[in-house]
Amino acid sequence: MTTKVLDPREVLLRADHLRREMGDDFRDRIVSSLYADAQRIADRSVQIGTGQKWDWDQKIDRIVTSPVFGLPIMLGILALIFWITIIGANYPSQMLAEFFFVVEARAAELFIAWGVPALLTGFIWNGVFRGLAWVVSVMLPPMAIFFPMFTVLEDLGYLPRVAFNMDWLFRNAGAHGKQALTMAMGFGCNAAGITATRVIDSPRERLIAILTNNFVPCNGRFPTLIMLATIFVAAAFPPAFASLAAAGAVVGVVLIGVGFTLLSSWLLARTVLQGEASAFTLELPPYRRPSILRILYTSLIDRTIFVLWRAILTAAPAGAAIWVLANIDWNGVSLAQHSANFLQPLGYAIGLDGVILLAYVIAIPANEIVVPTMLMVYMGVSAMSDITSYDKIRTLLIDEQGWTMLTAVNLMLFSLLHNPCATTIITIWKETRSAKWTTIGALMPLVFAFAVTFAVATAVRALW
Amino acid sequence: MTSQAWVLLVLIFAIAVAWPKIGLWTQWRHYQAEKTRRLVEDALKHIVAWEQRGQAATPESLAGALSLSQRRTLSLIIRMEKRGLLRSDPAGFSLTSKGESWALHVVRAHRLWERYLADDAGMPMERLHQAAEIAEHQLSAEKLDKLDAHLGHPQRDPHGDPIPAADGSLKPVDAVSLSQWPTGEQARIVHIEDEPDVIFRQIIAAGLRPGVNIRILENTPERLVISDGNTEHRLAHIVAANIQVAEARHSLRPAGAIRLSELPKGEPAEVIELDAACRGFSRRRLLDLGLTPQTRIEVALDNPFGDPRAYRVRGTTIALRRQQAGQIWVKPPSTSANQQTAKEAIHA
Repeated sequence: MTTKVLDPREVLLRADHLRREMGDDFRDRIVSSLYADAQRIADRSVQIGTGQKWDWDQKIDRIVTSPVFGLPIMLGILALIFWITIIGANYPSQMLAEFFFVVEARAAELFIAWGVPALLTGFIWNGVFRGLAWVVSVMLPPMAIFFPMFTVLEDLGYLPRVAFNMDWLFRNAGAHGKQALTMAMGFGCNAAGITATRVIDSPRERLIAILTNNFVPCNGRFPTLIMLATIFVAAAFPPAFASLAAAGAVVGVVLIGVGFTLLSSWLLARTVLQGEASAFTLELPPYRRPSILRILYTSLIDRTIFVLWRAILTAAPAGAAIWVLANIDWNGVSLAQHSANFLQPLGYAIGLDGVILLAYVIAIPANEIVVPTMLMVYMGVSAMSDITSYDKIRTLLIDEQGWTMLTAVNLMLFSLLHNPCATTIITIWKETRSAKWTTIGALMPLVFAFAVTFAVATAVRALW
Repeated sequence: MTSQAWVLLVLIFAIAVAWPKIGLWTQWRHYQAEKTRRLVEDALKHIVAWEQRGQAATPESLAGALSLSQRRTLSLIIRMEKRGLLRSDPAGFSLTSKGESWALHVVRAHRLWERYLADDAGMPMERLHQAAEIAEHQLSAEKLDKLDAHLGHPQRDPHGDPIPAADGSLKPVDAVSLSQWPTGEQARIVHIEDEPDVIFRQIIAAGLRPGVNIRILENTPERLVISDGNTEHRLAHIVAANIQVAEARHSLRPAGAIRLSELPKGEPAEVIELDAACRGFSRRRLLDLGLTPQTRIEVALDNPFGDPRAYRVRGTTIALRRQQAGQIWVKPPSTSANQQTAKEAIHA
């Protein structure tokens, strides 16, 4: 048998010709016939059970998406996760901090015994190592608790229901319902949340999701929020309710963040990103029993280690920078103190102070080191402090530095709204490939942060 | 001010004007050239449109279409003749082959861009024309080829006008005016004239667009009554003249069909078709989810806030916003249930 070899150009020409004869609905016909074939095969070979599982799913769905219980259940679960994280992370964090402190002291002693110059010893152990130690001890325990719980929710299939409940808000803001999913990812890490926006098909709505993801407080910012909630909010409650009050305060901050997400989405959808709502299709998968091994794997290896590694990479140079700033004196005052003094007027205007702003500038690579940097400059010691308990921090901030409720509230707001960290900014660039959108993504939150904290500070000072 | 400062100022100004490539003079020249090109392209479009109707454009018709004075029209025609784009005859103009291929490029750009805006960007029908009027002058042939492939080589623009192929060949629309279609017969809308704007908006607002199947119920000298299966539309003849129809490909949407968004909870239904307004990505997405004709579907979940609702289809639960669900036509459960009870009654 011989096969007639066709000239490729002739084939293309014929295809082009045939295409014009097909009419505009040939896609419809192709898909319909594929489904018809699949249906025929399925009818012949698949037996469908009694549907008891589906009934259960439907019962659960009716509860978690009900008008009465839907939103309270969502908030309740969120509060529960924060509460468990706050309670559970406190003690291990302290243990890790103490452990690293011992390691650092021993190692420094050893270096001195070996005759290594004091400057180098200080740089390596009191600078770089202490930066790493802080980040690991502050971040690892909450992440190791938060991420598995979050993965359980994901695995159960609860998150799409959240998107289902919340879509009306996003629709009114001109955004995509799946933005709720990418926001949920943002709790872990904003960079991960921004990568997750790939599930949104429409470029316009995806950009909105990318630019607003920063308003979800990520894991690097939770330690700050948790610390403030514990010191300022929980202290006002009897000890039995203290941790609950702290969790409630964190949920409150998260809700404010959701509010700003919606507000900025709405603004974007009406100014620079105008357009029509695109197709919204969201699958609500059947509920599944979470598989423990998989959860441990994805939450610990994929997320915890990934985020921690990134934090370590940025914390080490930041630790070095802090050490250098704190140890180089100019006119008898450290560079850190000079910079803090320079930033003081701006800091005061927004209800904070120069030291806090300096900490935020140094913490651009990673938000996790904001609190350590701040404490270090306050204490005037030549390295990041090794304060390990909240009581000591409370004494330092309230009694010595004169923090008030306004400072705490504004710091929470600033931490929630301020510019994304360097990794997130790089991720925005990678996902959008646009200098314009990367700039907007970095600066829009900063404008919000300054505007809101300034307004709060001015209002509070005028009223009291 | 000292004289040196003045000299400096004049020098700076001169440089700003005369700087090659980015100077003001070059910018101005560039702007003028762009403006002329637009004018030439609009003129070409006008002439080719008349040619397609079997008429020859005249200087008067051209001046009217471009809102130019007689004098400027004449200078434009002379310039175009010099460039070998058209020939003037006593009867009017005709395009040279060079002029015609350029004209078809502009037409192709316009219609492809409209298709893109309607399908991918989801722009409402009544805004398409204006947007494409600007974009048609800015798209190169390579960009158009890419766009054409991306859109899946569409044959018609959203109004039903044929889109010229890359080689300039055009498949004319085989259609007649709605007023001439026999009463009682089914037809498919294939083309809607987009000018005058007032009439076009009326037609679009009624939900009529290319691809919709209709039947003429009544054709009197005063008006035309048509049905798209579940809604009756009364049209004046001046409106109907702007709608062209052809042979229907499939049967009319059955009476009593409703939009999926209106389906009450707890009642099963069957998909009839996706609305003709649902196009491009959004249509592909719904088809991929298995919302093909005859698929059984029911409401699985109402939403606390009314929107979106979740539907049970092919063993999965899918949430759709009201706007999407509104583009899916389903047979209401009551009619099929009624038929069943009727059948049972007969058997009894």
